[in-house]
Amino acid sequence: MTATPAAAEHRAPRNAGGPVGLAANSTSKIGDRLFLGLSTGASWLILVILAGVAIFLIIKAAPAIGADWASNDALNQTVANTPGHANFWEYAGPLLFGTVWASFLALLMGAPVAVGIALFISHYAPRRIAGVLGYLVDLLAAVPSVVFGLWGLSVITGFLGPLNQFLGEYLGWIPLFGGSISAGGGTILAGAVVLAVMILPIVTSISREIFLQTPSLHEEAALALGATRWEMIRLAVLPYARSGVISAILLGLGRALGETMAIAMIVSPKLIVSFQLLTNDNPATIASNIANQFGGANDMQRDALIATGLLLFVVSFLVNFIARWIVSRTAPGVRRVRKARAA
Amino acid sequence: MKISRLGTVGAIALVGGLVLAGCSSNTTPSDDTSSAAPGSATGLDAIDASLAGTITAGGSSAQANAETAWTTAFNSVAKGVTINYDKSQGSGGGRSNFISGAYDFAGSDAPLSADETKQAAATYPSGAVDLPIYLDGVAVAYNSSLGSSLNLTTATIAKIFSGKITDWSDPAITADNGGTALPAGKITVVVRSDSSGTAQNFTNFLNAADPADWSWKGSGTFPADITGTDAQKGGGAVASEIAKVRGSIGYLDHSALTDGVSAATVNGIEYSADAVAAALTDGATVTSNGVDGDLSITFDYSKITADTAAYPIPLLSYAIIPLEFKTPEQAKITVAYLRFIASEDGQKAAAKKAGSAPLPAEILDQVNDTLATVK
Repeated sequence: MTATPAAAEHRAPRNAGGPVGLAANSTSKIGDRLFLGLSTGASWLILVILAGVAIFLIIKAAPAIGADWASNDALNQTVANTPGHANFWEYAGPLLFGTVWASFLALLMGAPVAVGIALFISHYAPRRIAGVLGYLVDLLAAVPSVVFGLWGLSVITGFLGPLNQFLGEYLGWIPLFGGSISAGGGTILAGAVVLAVMILPIVTSISREIFLQTPSLHEEAALALGATRWEMIRLAVLPYARSGVISAILLGLGRALGETMAIAMIVSPKLIVSFQLLTNDNPATIASNIANQFGGANDMQRDALIATGLLLFVVSFLVNFIARWIVSRTAPGVRRVRKARAA
Repeated sequence: MKISRLGTVGAIALVGGLVLAGCSSNTTPSDDTSSAAPGSATGLDAIDASLAGTITAGGSSAQANAETAWTTAFNSVAKGVTINYDKSQGSGGGRSNFISGAYDFAGSDAPLSADETKQAAATYPSGAVDLPIYLDGVAVAYNSSLGSSLNLTTATIAKIFSGKITDWSDPAITADNGGTALPAGKITVVVRSDSSGTAQNFTNFLNAADPADWSWKGSGTFPADITGTDAQKGGGAVASEIAKVRGSIGYLDHSALTDGVSAATVNGIEYSADAVAAALTDGATVTSNGVDGDLSITFDYSKITADTAAYPIPLLSYAIIPLEFKTPEQAKITVAYLRFIASEDGQKAAAKKAGSAPLPAEILDQVNDTLATVK
């Protein structure tokens, strides 16, 4: 509804460009049409690729999802050399759990830090430091995940070792810290710490953008009422940015769900459902399981792995969909237009 | 990926030159004796320098280092042949790409299964054969802080890796080491989380040699339902984990042993190229997949363990080729390459560069007999 006047404004310059020379006008029309065609084609291509991936996954996954696992030796016995899967869901269930569990732990550790960094950059840091810090955080996104994996394997696992021992010894009665403590450190805790670092850039940069869009009138009003800086943030910034931050976190979750190499390199996986954080028996994630098993799998086993891939596709699609939906429902962009018109 | 042609040729010539120089100084005496008769030249001397074409292959990463050594040596003579061996596929990927017709040959740690042999026959009407080309041993590797020597029997190994023995002071381990007890400490079993030829051969061994303690089938993936194992991705990661964690034990390609990791003697037998070749001589039976010339090998581990000079856990890897190629030219270059691999020179090159053990001559003869029928 608010878009209508804006759209009319938008069209105005094009009409104004009408009375130019006829030849120039016709070439610009050809150029326009060409560019329109190209960009329309590109946007359709996205849909076609997405549909293609979905169709490929469904076609390849169907035989394994539909198969009778109990009677199929290749599926029942050797996909991870664990006998006794009655059907696809018994195999995929623990993997799905592992994927969600690892991502959840990563969000638990990463999201508060990321939002804190974003607030610091947008509202606390001096302008010069804020610029450098923002740049550094964005740079973190450019580190390849295999490098994160190496870092986790050689640094984080050792770094967490004493903590693991401490937690296991004194807090082992809490189920989370129970079980036989991993000597090597390939725990899901180590994996989640690295995942948390990996989702920092995306959550930070989106949150920062939204915090910066808080109407300055709101902020000034809060300060004028005698609010401290933290109170101002609580009164003006956080309510305004809440939905945007939630969607930023969900986008971070999308990243964490699909992360493969770092998890495959750090975490010692089993096909189990377990909440214990400090043992060698950690639930495998879908993506790392595919990376580990694809090489040795025969055709039927590959189909089963692709079927788990389809499951991951659906889950991350849903997460991203929800994130976008929250953004669009209360997009700060809409308010920005209002603000601009008010000004 | 693609290096300029001139650069490639230059690099190959350079490396080839070095390899040639290395080979000639080392192998001159044996060349003089074995290939005295001009007609029966084998190995490097037998390669036709005028060959040209591209061989597309891939699969097992266990034999990847050996493939690199073979390619380098082969290219030092036949400069016109490009050999692409893709180890990222793994054995399963190698077999499935071979069955679909994308590969000229597949490298695989397991021969074609009965199903796969049937599927391959649909692509290659004359059928496909498995040829053993790479031999190594699976080392039972432990953290060196345990001591400079450790002996384990088959049953003890099966019990440790299935989680039935969990402490180094266990009486079974003490008995294996002549009554000397090791200091008490928790055993951490380190395994591969990804599928591998090492696990395939290791679990084959455990399943066949001690079914009472080991109920799982032989498979490229270590059983995921054995709890407490520390699973690492890749042989390198397993080696560094064993070196890092006190009281740990795992399985590794013998060529992958590193500092801080020692190999246990198995039933009192230390790994050596001769010992593992003896295992092949003692216990290898050719169980053909039904195609003439197939050399799929099953091990009779009871015969191997009966021989006190044979290392009991051999690691064998195959090349899988069709009996009839799409074109005679492709057959010519692929067979020439495999002939070189199955020669004394080829096996020595792999032993030097990849740390593998040369296959016994009688197996190589059989491989060459089959290669002679390929067209």
